[in-house]
Amino acid sequence: MVEQLSNIVTIKCKQQVVRAVRFNVDGSYCLTCGADKKIKLWNPHNQLLLKTYGGHANEVLDAAGSCDSSHIISCSSDKSVILWDVTTGQPVRRYRGHASSVTCVKFNEESTMAVSGSVDNTVSFWDVVSRRQEPVQILKDAKDTITSIQVTDHEVLTSSVDCHMRLYDMRVGKMFSDYIGHIITYASMTHDGQCYVLSCADNTIKLFDKDSGELLNTFSGHECKDFLLENSVNEKDSHIISGSATGEIFYWDLVSSSCTQKLVHGKRPVVSLSHHPTDNYLLTASEDEVVLWGVPKMEE
Amino acid sequence: MSSDESDEENVIRYGTPLDPFEEDEVPSKRKFQQQPDQYAVDEHGRRRFHGAFTGGFSAGYGNTVGTPEGWAPSSFKSSRSEKAQISNQRPEDFMDEEDRSEYGIAPRNLQTKSEFSGQKRTHQGFHDGPIPGEPVLGQLLRAVHETAAVKMLRKMGWKEGQGVGGRLTRSDKKRAKDQHKVYGCYMPPEMRQENKEESEESTDSEFEYETLFAPDDYEPYILQRKNDRFGLGYKGLSRHSVLGNLVGEYGDAGNSRSHLVMKEKGKKVSIRGQAFGVGAFEADDDDVYATHDMSHYDFEIGGATEKTEKKKAQDKSSNVLEGFVKASKPLPSIPNYPPPALPRDFVPAPAGVRRSRFDVTEAPQRDQGLGRHELTAEARGALLGETPLPETKEHIPETQTQETNLSKILGKSIDFVTQNTLKDKEKDTDFISIKDTGKDINVFKPFVSDPKKQARYEQYLKDKESGKESDRITGDTEREGDRLSEWERNREMIEFEQAAKLYRPLSGIMGDRFTHASEPDEGALNPLTAVAKSSINYGLATPEQIEAAKIGAYGTITRKETKWRPEALVCKRFNVPEIGERSEPKKDVKSKISYSIFSYMESSVHDKESFTKEQSKFSGSKSLNVDKQNKIDKPVEVKTQVTKPVSTEMNTGPNKRMTVAELFMKESEKDLQTKNKETEVVQTIEKFDRMDLYKSIFLSDSENEEINEETPSTDYKDFIDKPKNVERNTSPPRGIFANIDFDELNSWKRHSENKTSNTNDKSDQKTTDELSKINDNSKEKLDTTDRVQKLGADDSILPEAVYGPKIPENLQKRLEEMPENNFKPVFRRKDERDLDESSSSDSWVEAKVKTKKEKKKKSKKHKSKKKSKHKKKDR
Repeated sequence: MVEQLSNIVTIKCKQQVVRAVRFNVDGSYCLTCGADKKIKLWNPHNQLLLKTYGGHANEVLDAAGSCDSSHIISCSSDKSVILWDVTTGQPVRRYRGHASSVTCVKFNEESTMAVSGSVDNTVSFWDVVSRRQEPVQILKDAKDTITSIQVTDHEVLTSSVDCHMRLYDMRVGKMFSDYIGHIITYASMTHDGQCYVLSCADNTIKLFDKDSGELLNTFSGHECKDFLLENSVNEKDSHIISGSATGEIFYWDLVSSSCTQKLVHGKRPVVSLSHHPTDNYLLTASEDEVVLWGVPKMEE
Repeated sequence: MSSDESDEENVIRYGTPLDPFEEDEVPSKRKFQQQPDQYAVDEHGRRRFHGAFTGGFSAGYGNTVGTPEGWAPSSFKSSRSEKAQISNQRPEDFMDEEDRSEYGIAPRNLQTKSEFSGQKRTHQGFHDGPIPGEPVLGQLLRAVHETAAVKMLRKMGWKEGQGVGGRLTRSDKKRAKDQHKVYGCYMPPEMRQENKEESEESTDSEFEYETLFAPDDYEPYILQRKNDRFGLGYKGLSRHSVLGNLVGEYGDAGNSRSHLVMKEKGKKVSIRGQAFGVGAFEADDDDVYATHDMSHYDFEIGGATEKTEKKKAQDKSSNVLEGFVKASKPLPSIPNYPPPALPRDFVPAPAGVRRSRFDVTEAPQRDQGLGRHELTAEARGALLGETPLPETKEHIPETQTQETNLSKILGKSIDFVTQNTLKDKEKDTDFISIKDTGKDINVFKPFVSDPKKQARYEQYLKDKESGKESDRITGDTEREGDRLSEWERNREMIEFEQAAKLYRPLSGIMGDRFTHASEPDEGALNPLTAVAKSSINYGLATPEQIEAAKIGAYGTITRKETKWRPEALVCKRFNVPEIGERSEPKKDVKSKISYSIFSYMESSVHDKESFTKEQSKFSGSKSLNVDKQNKIDKPVEVKTQVTKPVSTEMNTGPNKRMTVAELFMKESEKDLQTKNKETEVVQTIEKFDRMDLYKSIFLSDSENEEINEETPSTDYKDFIDKPKNVERNTSPPRGIFANIDFDELNSWKRHSENKTSNTNDKSDQKTTDELSKINDNSKEKLDTTDRVQKLGADDSILPEAVYGPKIPENLQKRLEEMPENNFKPVFRRKDERDLDESSSSDSWVEAKVKTKKEKKKKSKKHKSKKKSKHKKKDR
């Protein structure tokens, strides 16, 4: 049984709309990507705005911090991917390889490479360490927009609007594509790396076995509408979390697929969420507001 | 390295390269400024401006602050003794050199002004008065410019005060004066007479005779506006008092602005103002400035007081504000000049509005020239009176019919000329509307010139669409009136096909490449635009997969495995071992075959590898197969021995060799240095007489055959003993031997080899082979040797025929100085030198060995030199 979470902190980001909220590696900071073309770095625990990164020419759609928290990679609908220096706030590199707006971006484990997915149906690998300006590799398997990317030490998981989930395994040298039958709005992986959780546009979240591609569980109850809802798995891999178009956040038990908790964020759809990597914290973004959920500490 | 170098060799670069701009660098907003560009610097490189936001003027004391004298307080120095010198200071003493230069404050050198000014330039000097700058008075008073006419007159000899025209005698002048027109009142003649006589009497005596005078100046009669009501020519008493103020009726004494005020009429003049006048206790001088003026007169009978009262009353009666006086006379009317009438086609162009040069000009562009291009040919003809040409319109149909006839004959009808000349009427029929994709699309008609054919073509197109091809031909021919032969029809079919391909409507040919934009491409700009759901688009999902997904049977059916190969770099970055074999695309070193003569000589074959390369490159060309020969001859063990040092050498140093030209240069230099010319020449020639050696070994004269048979064997033994020598021995012919026909020799060699059994056992056996060879082909050999020798002789005789770099002249001379034409004597001489008296045959072998050793040493020397040279190059 999970402790009941409650709203610890509410941050008004003043970014028009927060497109994505992301914890950093250790969960002490978070990034918000705004429709105001800026990325903001926060300390969500004390509502502190640390820095604003401006340089994108259009809405920032996704961002990720590097493993050493020295760099930020962000992507925008201005078709570019920008690597930022955290401390100076200056863009270090700007990659202009995509033909359309870039929807998602992730670092690899060592933050030596950035992987970005775009509306142009491609996934590009960017060498962040070298000065190379072109993508190292482009994956052109998807037939529609890439909605999300997950990168592990040797795999790249992409979800696409073409109803396919694609898993690129570098060790084996194979690409596994699973046809899901519904638009996948977001794909995440469990921490053990054995399952992937797909948010589907049919108001369900599906849990798949990575090796066989079999459906393990389906979670429903939330409303998807036309939003690219994100999902997450809690730090213990015990629950699946997802936002809803109705403004709630659903917690499902991974095994029993029963809804254990429902957090009410507001009236507006909770599109983006990010779970703390180690602790029981959850960041959710709805419109201009970011809420940090967690177990309030007992004060003596 | 070599390829890169050669690539760069082909590129010509001008100027200094800019700093490489990194693509990913975000350009800084501030423009790149080079440090030296930011400071104004004089010609000595000192900074010009200092301090005060670097706008401060350094006044010639640039950069003294910070230097010892800049900070040190100057100690007092009496100028008592140097007073005279100080007075001599001039502004120039405080100027920099730049100030006196062309662009300085006080330029010293004469220079033309950019624009010509007729007026004399006013001297612009330093004004040393209390007010700096240009003198104010000078600015206020400006000399009246002389008009151009006056200037011209002056140039012609005119002086002020005299009239224009030829010089006159006095009598003439007098006469002219009489005729002078007089405006205004005529002087009574008596009076004039008197005046004249007076003047005449005084002057006649002096200037009686031929003295000529300039005519009298014409006095311009300037009409002046008459602003009083006196009679013509009458000037009344001045209303201005002598003291400068208006008096009487017109002026008010109390308000006068003059310093001198007359208190009582004609009695007292008090002077206001300071520093001037009568002292307080001094008796007034009466009427110091008494002159006749209006103020001395009474204008009315009665007292003055009365007058003032009256005046006041008068003032009141007229509608005038208190303190104001009505003007006695109207203001002079300012002449009114109406603005000039604007031309009818004038269009005002406001000065503020700038007209872009891309704006459409309303005025038609004129052709250069005289406007005759604006005329049409007819108009011009009409102007010239030519009879107009008959109308040309009839020609077009004629040509058309001609074309059709022609096309009928030739069975060929795509004619672009006629299409171009078609008139507008036919244009609309130029396209066939085809119902394709539900829309009428105009298709180009290729056979308009032949309507029947066009009809057939259209029929063909229709049939093609519907897919009935077989019955087309029959129906076609039946319907058509004109009969076409089978051959013609076939031709036409091919033509139609091609035409159909060519003139396919755009929708057909390009349609599969482009699609209509169903929605405006707003996605990039506005990510919030609604996107249609594409769940219908199943990617590449198979129907089975779709079925499986529908029932939720995910797994093997829905999964698809495909091979995917991550890039090497991706693997590297992900710390994942690369899959499969490493098939690194090696950079292919382009096998460049340069046909320069140098390449033959330069890439001299000192190691085996390069030699074999050379062999393959120029197989059958001008390379000599000596090495091959050696290889065959040499025992296998030797080979292995040989290869080792070679490989090491390859690793250690770049195997670039000196060119023959370089060698020659070196040698010639050496010659100059060491004056021992004789021996040097021998050495140098020795370098290039390996051919002779070769000849002597393998193609020796018939007389020496027996002896020479042994020589190679000894030679080879020598090689075996010192395997390094092989390197040297395998060098191809170079320099003077380059033009010897080695192909011939080689072919012959190969030929003989083929004949003899190919054995590579021992040198002994080789010698037997040699023997047999010689025996077999003694005749041939003789011929060839002769030829070779001849060639050699030719070589020395005709230096023009030599290929390759020119031999330095001094060397050439020495070569020519040799006692015999062929090179044998060199050996002889060497022999003689080395072993004083010995038989020629014996000494040959001996000398050879010796020379070999020498060469070795030499080669080593060269190598070291080369290496050093390479180092230099690398730098």
